Amino acid sequence: MSTEAAGAPLLSLEGVGKDYAKVESRGGQVRLVWDLLRGHGAANVFRALDDVGFTLERGQSLGIVGENGAGKSTLLKVVAGVIAPTRGRVQVNGRVGALLELGSGFHPDYTGLANIELSAALLGLSPREIASKREEIVAFADIGDHINEPIKHYSSGMVVRLGFAVATALRPDILITDEVLAVGDESFQKKCIAWMEDYLAEGGTLLLCSHSMYHIQKLCRHALWLRDGRVVREGAAMDVTQAYLAFHEEKSAQARQPMGAALAHAAGVYAVHSLAITPEGSLTLGETLSIRGEIFSPDGRAPVVLLGVVRADGTPVYGVASDMEGVALRPVGDNRFAFGLTLPGLALLPGKYVVRAHAMDPEGVRLFDNVERAFVVTGASREMGFVRLPHTWHDTD
Amino acid sequence: MNSPSTSAGRAVVPAPTAAVRDRALFVNFFKRELNTRYLGSVSGFAWAFVHPLVLLVVYHFVFTTIFRTTGFGGQSFLAFVAVALWPWLAAQEGIQRAATSLAGYAGLIRKVAFPHELVIYASVTATLALQLAGYLVVLLALVAFGEPIHLEGLLLALPLWGVMAIGIIGVALFFAALQVFIRDVEHVLMPGLMILMYLTPILYPLTLVPEVMRPWVALNPFSWLVSRLRDALLDGKLALEWGDAVAVLVAMAIFFAGRWIFRRLSPYFEDFV
Repeated sequence: MSTEAAGAPLLSLEGVGKDYAKVESRGGQVRLVWDLLRGHGAANVFRALDDVGFTLERGQSLGIVGENGAGKSTLLKVVAGVIAPTRGRVQVNGRVGALLELGSGFHPDYTGLANIELSAALLGLSPREIASKREEIVAFADIGDHINEPIKHYSSGMVVRLGFAVATALRPDILITDEVLAVGDESFQKKCIAWMEDYLAEGGTLLLCSHSMYHIQKLCRHALWLRDGRVVREGAAMDVTQAYLAFHEEKSAQARQPMGAALAHAAGVYAVHSLAITPEGSLTLGETLSIRGEIFSPDGRAPVVLLGVVRADGTPVYGVASDMEGVALRPVGDNRFAFGLTLPGLALLPGKYVVRAHAMDPEGVRLFDNVERAFVVTGASREMGFVRLPHTWHDTD
Repeated sequence: MNSPSTSAGRAVVPAPTAAVRDRALFVNFFKRELNTRYLGSVSGFAWAFVHPLVLLVVYHFVFTTIFRTTGFGGQSFLAFVAVALWPWLAAQEGIQRAATSLAGYAGLIRKVAFPHELVIYASVTATLALQLAGYLVVLLALVAFGEPIHLEGLLLALPLWGVMAIGIIGVALFFAALQVFIRDVEHVLMPGLMILMYLTPILYPLTLVPEVMRPWVALNPFSWLVSRLRDALLDGKLALEWGDAVAVLVAMAIFFAGRWIFRRLSPYFEDFV
C-alpha cells in the first residue's frame, strides 16, 4: 500500500488480467475449491481481461468502449475493487465512487432512507457524515414521500434516481459508471448530465463505460477500446470512438458478401456479380476514383445499378443510380451487364470510406444485392467534416 | 480482505480509514440481520424467546414424565438441560444462518467492494445476541420457579459464550465460503449438526456414556463448553482451569483457520454467489 505521492496518477493499471473459473462438470466445484485453497488458481478458466494497462490523471476522463462481453464491466469492477485482478497491479490514490447498475446494492425490503444509510456506510461514511448528507441526497433524488417506502415498491426510474443521488453525494475522486445515463426521465437525465459536467469542470475524474459514442465523446477526452479482454486502441476519445464505429461498419459489411451468379440464378434475383475500384484500397485527397463491375440479371433484361459512397461509420456521402441519369448498362453475355463510373478529383477528406453497389431491377424500384469495397483517403488536411466543398475566401488581406 | 495471495493486488488510500468504514458497515449489517429476521412477523422478537421455551417444556415432559431419566446426582433435569441446550441452539442457528447468509448479500457482493467476512460476523453475532438474551430470560425464569441456578455463575458463563462465539464464527466462515461454491453444504449441515447434538452431553450427563467412549466425547469442544457452563451455573464453581486456556486457544485456532479459508475463497465469490 503506497500513500499518495504528489504527482502520482489517480489510477494506474499495469498488466491487469482477470480469469473467471469455468465449472463444467458436476463435482467440478469441489475441484475448484480445492484448487483455490491450495492457491493454484482455477485450472479451467475464461480470460475476461488480459494485459490491460493505463493511467488516469486527476481531472482526466476516460471512456471505455467495446462489444458485449469485451470485458468492460469486468474492468470497471476491478477498478472499483469489487473483484481482485488475477494478474497485474491496480493502484488507486483516491476515493472511488462506483455506479455499477444503479440501485443493485439496495435492499428491496428497506425503505429509501435505510438504503441511503447502507450505501453511505458502504462508501465509507461515518454515521455522523451520513446524517449530514441525508438531506442533500433526499433533495437530489427528489422522489417525495416514497423515500419512506420500501425500495421494492419503487419504479426503476426512482431506484436509479436514488442510486445516483447517493453515489454522487460524496464527490468521489473517481466516478465509475456503467450504462446509467440512459435511464430516468428527461429532466432527471439533464440533471445528471449537468451534475457530471459540473463535476468534471471542478476537476473530477470519470471512468465511463457506454455504448453511446455520443456520451463518450461529450464527457470524455480519452477513450479505450476493449476487445476480448484486451486493449485494441487507446487515445483521444474522438479517434477511438470513430475507429470503433468503423470497425462495426466493416464487420457488418463482411457479413454481406456478393451472392454469386449461381446462387442469384437459382434465386432468380438481380445481383452484383463483380465490383472493383481503382486505385485499389487507398488514394490521396483529390485523386480520381474509378468504379467498375457487372450485374447479373436472371431474365436477361438490363438491370439498374445504384452506386454510393459512405463513410466507414455508415454515414452516406453520395449516391446515384444508373436510371437517374438515363444510363444503360452494357450487356457482356451470360446475362451479365457491365457498368463503370469515374469520380474525378474526389473531394473526400482523409478517412475510411466504402463504395457500395446495389443491384436493382430494370424498373429501378426493387433493390436486391449489396456489395461493398472499402478504401482509405490519405493526405494531410486539418479541415473538418468529410467533404471538401468548393470555396473561396472573401474580404481578407 | 486485502490483496489475494498472488502477486496481483490493489492499493487504496480511501478518505475514511478502512477500520472506520468496516465498523459502520458491521453495525449496519448487524441491524439488518436483526430486523430482517422478524420483519413482517406480528410478534417480532418474541419468537426469539418462545421457540426455545417451548422446546424446553417438550424435553422436560419427554425425559421426566415419559422416560423418567435418572442419574443426575439429584439435580433438576430442567435446569440441567436448560443450561446446555440454549448455547447449543445458539451455535446451531448461528452456523446454519451464517452458512447461507452470503446469498442475501449477492447484490452487494457483485457490485460493491467490501470485506465479505463482515456479513458472517454480523450474522453470527446477531444470532448469538438474540439467543443470549433468551438464555438470560430463561435462567431468570428458572430461578423464579425455584430451580437451583447460581446466577453468580454468569460471571464465568458470559466469557464462555464469548469463547464459543469465536469458535462459531470460525466454523461459520468455513461453511459460508464453501456454500458459495457447493450448494450441498446447507443440506449436509442440518443432519450433521443434529448428529453432533446427540453426541454431545446436552440431554444426558457424561457419566452415562460408556467408559471407553468418554475420551472421544470429551474431545468435542462443545462437551467442554457444556460441562463448564454446568460447573458455573448449576454448581456455582467459578474457578478457572487449565483446560480453559486450551479451550481459548482451540477457539482462536478454529477462528483463524476459518478466516484463512474464507479469505482464500472470497475473491471468487463475485462470480458464484
